[in-house]
Amino acid sequence: MAQDNLNRDQATARIRAAVTQDLLSGRISLLLGWQKGLFWWRSRPLFARSQQDLERLVWDSFCAVNLSRYLPEELSIEERVGILVKGCDARAFHRLLQDRMLDRERVLLYGLPCPGMLDYRLLAEAGVKEAEQMLEEGEELVIQTGGGEERRPRTDFLLEKCRLCSHPDPVVYDQLLLPPGEPRMDPASRFQDLEARERPTPAERYAYWSGELQRCLSCYACRQVCPACSCRECFAEQQEPRWLGKGAGLNENMLFHIIRVYHGAGRCIECGECQRACPVGIPLLELSRRLAKDIEELYGPYEAGMDPEAPPPLLTYRPEDPAAFPEK
Amino acid sequence: MSEALKGKGADNGGTAAGVGGSRSSGSGNGAWQPLIVAFCCNWCSYAGGDLAGTSRLSYPANVRVIRVTCSSRVNPLHVMRAFQRGADGVLIAGCHPGDCHYTSGNYHARRRFSIFARLLEHAGLEPERFQVRWISSSEGDRFAEVMQEMTETIKALGPNERWVDPRWLKIT
Repeated sequence: MAQDNLNRDQATARIRAAVTQDLLSGRISLLLGWQKGLFWWRSRPLFARSQQDLERLVWDSFCAVNLSRYLPEELSIEERVGILVKGCDARAFHRLLQDRMLDRERVLLYGLPCPGMLDYRLLAEAGVKEAEQMLEEGEELVIQTGGGEERRPRTDFLLEKCRLCSHPDPVVYDQLLLPPGEPRMDPASRFQDLEARERPTPAERYAYWSGELQRCLSCYACRQVCPACSCRECFAEQQEPRWLGKGAGLNENMLFHIIRVYHGAGRCIECGECQRACPVGIPLLELSRRLAKDIEELYGPYEAGMDPEAPPPLLTYRPEDPAAFPEK
Repeated sequence: MSEALKGKGADNGGTAAGVGGSRSSGSGNGAWQPLIVAFCCNWCSYAGGDLAGTSRLSYPANVRVIRVTCSSRVNPLHVMRAFQRGADGVLIAGCHPGDCHYTSGNYHARRRFSIFARLLEHAGLEPERFQVRWISSSEGDRFAEVMQEMTETIKALGPNERWVDPRWLKIT
């Protein structure tokens, strides 16, 4: 990949130089980026207002958080916001733009072609517990285990959302800070893995999803991070009518997730933030992707967040549309 | 919603009890009877139901009709709520494509509920339990037929167990 000419420290330095200039000159009043979190395998959002803040900026293999989700709130207090965008952040930006949650003129997008972010769970399974045990060399990870050194391709450790990503390069930006990468996944074949995971009978599907969803804590993190969840009042907290109670029960958990996924139908950019944010590891992305696949089958190819002018499939129709139920 | 759930058209006495009552083995003649909630659009399908009634056509009393302004008025949450509170099948009926009183409501409904039907299928519901049909105001016979057919399909499937909220089943 072209960006390997720069290592991560050099890339971070280049990003920092570009944004420092704009922040100091007053072109932007806030920069949304990433900084190291409590753990080495976590990079959390950085809200930088000064040069001092920018010293904490990082661009490493754990910058998975989709920053665009923070834009609507920040724009309500800031004049002009700069934001670092990967492929999924850029599509989320389009999503929010299309939902009229943002003012394009007040956002400055710095594009970062994304090499894919790493999943700590997979690293831990391979025996990596500390940052020192893992060294990135281009497309390979050098892993120190008790027995010695092991070289594994970086792609083995990507987050699921990154493994399936068909647009790692930002689809919209004002300035591209790093050289573009190569596409990893052809958009037309992005659902192939779902066929392999097909569960043939309703009973099997119900057993699978009730098993997964009964772990749900109703923390609503999946909704909080979702760039397609834009209701001012979520049905989950609506009082009149009250759709969900306060207790956690399987039927209410399933109701919440079914409706949450449905609200994103045709609008979900498949960024997989729901799944990454889930504290109990429910494979939430799968349901959204199955729905996206159905929409493509019935109403033609559509990738949300690619073109803000293209209407989402469930907000439009054609008289000759097919239906998933018998019409006569 | 309870008022609308009283049902209309066909003879409503005896066989099926109120919401959730379909499950209690003690009601009526003792045999399990399915409960089907049918959301009917005011302009076509509900009028079709009226025609079935005035034409003296009979259809099973298991069907409870809820009149909505348009098939696209139905919120998927309404469908989920029906299942939670003991419905064994849910039907949405609207005008035939092209005949919508609001020009495009049923076109939107067609896309929405095609996708929603697929979603319920992915989550493990038997596809027969959630149906969408187009019934015009002149199709009283079709209305009776659709209700008959749906009732038979659900009877064959047995009681719905997905997403049922046990708190509601106590109410008989």
